[in-house]
Amino acid sequence: MDASILLALRDPAGVPFYPVVFQALYVLTWALHAAFVFLALGSMGLSLYGTFKQKSDDNWKILTPHLIQTGKISISILIVLGVAPLLFTQVIYDPNWYVTNTLSGMWVFIFIYTLVLGYILYYWYYFANKKNQGGGKLIGIISFLILIFAGTLMHNFAVTSLMPNDWMNMYAPNGIVDNSGWTFNVDTVRLIFMLSLSIPVVGLFLQNYSRFLSTRRDFSEIFIDYCAKLGTKIGVVGLIISAVAFVAWMIQVGYLLHPLSIAIVVGVVILLFMILKNSNSYITTIVLVVVALLISSMRELIRFDIMAKLGYSIYEYPVNLEIPTIVMFLLTFLVLGGVGVAYLLTLAWKVGKNQGVFDGTKDKAVTKLGNYTLSIMVLWMVIYFGWGMTILFMNIL
Amino acid sequence: MDIIGQFPLFYFPEYGSAWMMGMTGTIHILASHTSVGAAMLFAYLSYKAYKENRTDLYPYMKKYGMFLLIFSYVIGSITGPGIWYTATAASPRGISALIHNFVWVWATEWVFFVFEVIGVFVLVYFIDKIDKKTHLKLTFSFAMASVGTLALIIGIISFMMWPGTQEYYTTGSASDAFFGTNTFPHMFLRIGFMIMLSGVIGLIISSAMKKDNLELSRELTKKMGYVSMLGGFLVLFFFMWYMGTLPDNAHAVFNITKADVIQSRIILTVVFSIYFLVAIVKPQFISTPLAGVMVFIILIAGIWPGEKLRESMRKPYVAGQYIYSNQIISRDVPGKGIKSELPIIAEKGLLQVNPFVPKNLKVITEENKHEVGKLLARMACSNCHSLEKTGKYRPLKDRLAGMDKEAIKSILYAIGAGGMPYMPTLKLPENETDAIAQYFASMKY
Repeated sequence: MDASILLALRDPAGVPFYPVVFQALYVLTWALHAAFVFLALGSMGLSLYGTFKQKSDDNWKILTPHLIQTGKISISILIVLGVAPLLFTQVIYDPNWYVTNTLSGMWVFIFIYTLVLGYILYYWYYFANKKNQGGGKLIGIISFLILIFAGTLMHNFAVTSLMPNDWMNMYAPNGIVDNSGWTFNVDTVRLIFMLSLSIPVVGLFLQNYSRFLSTRRDFSEIFIDYCAKLGTKIGVVGLIISAVAFVAWMIQVGYLLHPLSIAIVVGVVILLFMILKNSNSYITTIVLVVVALLISSMRELIRFDIMAKLGYSIYEYPVNLEIPTIVMFLLTFLVLGGVGVAYLLTLAWKVGKNQGVFDGTKDKAVTKLGNYTLSIMVLWMVIYFGWGMTILFMNIL
Repeated sequence: MDIIGQFPLFYFPEYGSAWMMGMTGTIHILASHTSVGAAMLFAYLSYKAYKENRTDLYPYMKKYGMFLLIFSYVIGSITGPGIWYTATAASPRGISALIHNFVWVWATEWVFFVFEVIGVFVLVYFIDKIDKKTHLKLTFSFAMASVGTLALIIGIISFMMWPGTQEYYTTGSASDAFFGTNTFPHMFLRIGFMIMLSGVIGLIISSAMKKDNLELSRELTKKMGYVSMLGGFLVLFFFMWYMGTLPDNAHAVFNITKADVIQSRIILTVVFSIYFLVAIVKPQFISTPLAGVMVFIILIAGIWPGEKLRESMRKPYVAGQYIYSNQIISRDVPGKGIKSELPIIAEKGLLQVNPFVPKNLKVITEENKHEVGKLLARMACSNCHSLEKTGKYRPLKDRLAGMDKEAIKSILYAIGAGGMPYMPTLKLPENETDAIAQYFASMKY
């Protein structure tokens, strides 16, 4: 696939802002999305182990439903966070994105219903396990496998999008056009690496979980200590597995000695040390986010280089600057998003730390954040309608 | 080299890939509209519970919330990107146009989504873990965020029909594309529908509460009846306003099925008015199975044909009245530097300008003519018509039944000359027209 075709496949409307910004947003939001993918799969996988233990083990009796709940919420968050990288990638890499979707049209359709089915079964698993007696094992395993399959489909799309030179052969092998949309490509090493990250992530989650509950009197010290140690064990083993898989992937793509790759390895070693020591898991989480950002950058670097070799540079994408909507986004993101999400998370944090009913009216931070969020929402609506009516009046009168 | 940005073609036999998008879209509309409607209803119930100190309303809200969490947020949040995915496979350039015009609007909507998804868990799980006043505040901000998602997507889906004014074509501005003449009527039409749906879903839960608390069940069933009635009235009122803001090609399509559409809508209105009246006057008659069936009827008889109609009324365009359903750009948009692809296609033909046509099919010969005709037919027609003899989705077998090659050709010429406002004015070189006509004739519809 030569540059002239790739350039022709770009949207003729151009991009509404500088491509580097979309690239940065893509890297950032993919890392956030992936973090919750790993947490969802990791906590669900571990909860399945728990369903076999919880009948006879008091620690697992408490931990298992909490892991299921964590997985359940994580899936919702990973879906919503996944929308952003989905959006940004097709702004600057539209040739890759749209070719992949059309070549794998059937899988795209199946992916959606796989996810719906997997998630609904997850809820079934959640309800079946409510009595803390190890219920819902089979349904949990089926749901887990379906969700892993959904992840594999997503991986298929990513791999296909990185193979521009093979697109024509996928679409019309031997000159015979195939419109069926059944194209499927897997890169096993890369997939194993991605899936393996679920293990250290759930390990670190357990350390955080234990740290969070340490202030609660309704949880025993034995349980809290058990979770911390379990987290350390899973985190360390998981990191070693991921590190091996990462090195294998880097050797495969020829980036092992690239500074970014080395930075990731260093990051993993630091993480390993921090998880082993477990002096403050919240700080370890920040380091994990940094490593996740580096991995996200690595993905982007590989793609950028593949495309650059073919003569496609996102930095040369024609720009049609679009000021009003970017101002809307930035203000909404920083003001409404910042304050609103801070409000929800503060509330959730404080309720979690509190025993019994939490009185938000007596908490200054919660009250202020709540009032600000509501006022900003109202203001946002006023601006939206004001803006819309101004545009309409100008255009039709 | 003259190339246009055509992607590989994904085609689902018998039904067509657009049909798959419609299926996902219909499910999504039910879920997403319910979730916004429910967010408003939640705020109302919370207000009532707080103001009148009605602690008995909270368990209902909790049940309603759990139902929504599973139904709207699981299905809605997956099928939302799901429409995007399937629409991308079916109409890549249509979606690309929306993305490249409205990326920041979508990104803004994403901020609301994040707030909503975290919010719904906080709202449902903390209903008995936080004080009532804080919960009330939460429900109000949650309802506003939900309406915010509608406010942001509405301009984008309205643009799919048309920008509403000519301004967009000269300025290329996303604001001019977003705020068209039909954006606000479209928004209020959907708000009405959301309110109605929130009541219709509410009836499932209120009727299921009979065993626990008969009196409360009746009171809430009545309320849901009023809520649904109000929503239904708003739908009818804004639908009429909305229709008045649509372009001529939309009316041309609408007029074909106008009588049927009006008749089926009247029947639906009567059936649902009776249902809502029963909920108000004789709440004890509303059972959970009946309430479930009514949701199903809305899905099958209300949303599915409604969305199909909206989809049809966009024809021949898929977005912004400059991209045809078959992924060809049909007009200049100077504000964005976009050029119509019709002249180059008329001169060189689809085979030469589409980068995904294999080499052996680039030039028509006697040997490959049938294969080329089939590929061209799929490229030009399959987004709106299924081509098989047993096709189900606007099948060509109904339109071309018994016609020979020359008759089919004359139809293709008429379409190319703009003779049908809801068909793309796609002029092809003679040899490509001939190949398509020969392929259709060989199908012997």
